[in-house]
Amino acid sequence: MRKLFAIVGREWRAYFLSPLAYVILTAYMFLNGLIFAKIVSFLATPGGPRERFLPIMFTNTFFWIFLLFIVPILTMRLLAEERRSGTLEVLLTSPVSETQVVLGKFLGALGFFLVLWLPSLVFILYIGAKTDVDLGAVAAGYLGIALLGAYFLSIGTFASAVTKNQILAAILAFAMLIPIFSVGLFESGSDPARQSLIGYLNIWEHMDEFARGVVDTRRLVYYLSGTVFFLLLAATVLSSKKETP
Amino acid sequence: MIEVQGLSKRYPTRLAVDDVTFSVKRGEIVGFLGPNGAGKTTTMRVLTGFLPPTAGSARVAGYDVATQSMAARACLGYLPESAATYPEMRVSEYVAFRARLEGVARGSVRARVGEALERCLLGEVAGRRIENLSKGFRQRTALAGALVHQPPVLILDEPTIGLDPVQIIKIRETIRELGRDRAVLLSTHILPEVEAVCDRVLIIDRGRIVAEGTPAQLRGKLAGSPVVRIAVRGNVPARDALAGVAGISAVEIEEAPGETRARILCAPGADPREDIFRVAVERGWVLRELSREALSLEDVFVRLTRHETDPDAALPAAEAGAPPS
Repeated sequence: MRKLFAIVGREWRAYFLSPLAYVILTAYMFLNGLIFAKIVSFLATPGGPRERFLPIMFTNTFFWIFLLFIVPILTMRLLAEERRSGTLEVLLTSPVSETQVVLGKFLGALGFFLVLWLPSLVFILYIGAKTDVDLGAVAAGYLGIALLGAYFLSIGTFASAVTKNQILAAILAFAMLIPIFSVGLFESGSDPARQSLIGYLNIWEHMDEFARGVVDTRRLVYYLSGTVFFLLLAATVLSSKKETP
Repeated sequence: MIEVQGLSKRYPTRLAVDDVTFSVKRGEIVGFLGPNGAGKTTTMRVLTGFLPPTAGSARVAGYDVATQSMAARACLGYLPESAATYPEMRVSEYVAFRARLEGVARGSVRARVGEALERCLLGEVAGRRIENLSKGFRQRTALAGALVHQPPVLILDEPTIGLDPVQIIKIRETIRELGRDRAVLLSTHILPEVEAVCDRVLIIDRGRIVAEGTPAQLRGKLAGSPVVRIAVRGNVPARDALAGVAGISAVEIEEAPGETRARILCAPGADPREDIFRVAVERGWVLRELSREALSLEDVFVRLTRHETDPDAALPAAEAGAPPS
């Protein structure tokens, strides 16, 4: 466990010591400001369902754009950079397993991702001081973000494991995230089986549910199993892709 | 501490290591010598558990590197050829990270880091970012990371590559000191390094061990007929005077102004230098030079690893006691 924490700690340090982290934080704060302005304008509408402001926070266009672009940027260097610089050899010749390396890297990225969301709690506190806020729905919304973030980051981690080129890793992660993001587009049609499958995979709907305070175990299973699947895939790639001299 | 038996490693397109057998004992520094692409790094990567062997076995501190990889890895310190570190970290942070990664107990990390920094002469730069350091300091930081957990086995892949002469001397001193109570396998293609640091040499070429022994043994085995050179003031009948000396098989006179120079070919194993000196004294020659041509390790290396143009090049390998293929 200490070895895992050593990797997580180093990853955190790497994030916060790189200028990229602050560029991302700044961009995120800017987008969040726009989202907050939207919420304020929504709440200012007379007679509107005031308690329905949370879905704006978790399902608006800025949120998705941010998520789709930021995850590949956060994950692209995780393993690709280790492979390129040769530090992967140092890690994998230490008494740590490929799974520990992947998990450590992933947890480091997830930690940074969650820190990105911390400032948005200020908005909730501020709105809470002015109007009623359903804290259960807020907690569910943040749980949704953590789950979706973990799922997306695991895909990014996998993409970073297959190449030593960071840009390629980012593009691959983006290319993998787009279909997952776009499932909702195919929801039309009358076939109930298809409807049910797409409903199960439609992340727009999931986030809307979370933002309304609904925590469906099917969603938990979907995100957690997806995360574990891609992390295991990344560990497998890591152990098999050492062959080339 | 390191035992390698019939080890082979095949990449998809080529056989990088072919049936290699050797061992390294505690307190021994073994130089792993070979031209680029000979299989040094691949062998080391198999030993460190980074690559699985295709055939054969390797044990580090008694643990099989393939089936008991974790235990084997815990017993070794590895400095890869790239000497890769994390540039954004400070030297002491990096070494502490390596200590935690290697499983050093929480309470001992600080002490072990201090020892490793001291050993690698990094005290003055302990608080500096690695990216701001010279290549020599970075190399030593990587070395400190490899030995922070005080492993009984050290595997160092080209530890002095890219360093300036002063840094090379310092690193060699560190390695010699480390080798007193550890098994050290050190790869290099810098031949004086082997002479300066190693107790024993393994020469690998095209994936096979072609010679093994101390530098002196290798030179002895490959030297063939010894050659003595002399230079005498003025013109003297050197050929006639030396013809009767035991152990001399031929004398070649070389033209030189104001002196007589001769290249004396001796019988295998003979050393007629004292007899030559006596002849010179008896005849009143003014001897300006009397030396035995020594085969350098470089010559040994070239003889063993030259194969493209010389069809006889492989011959000395057998003479040098290479393991049967």
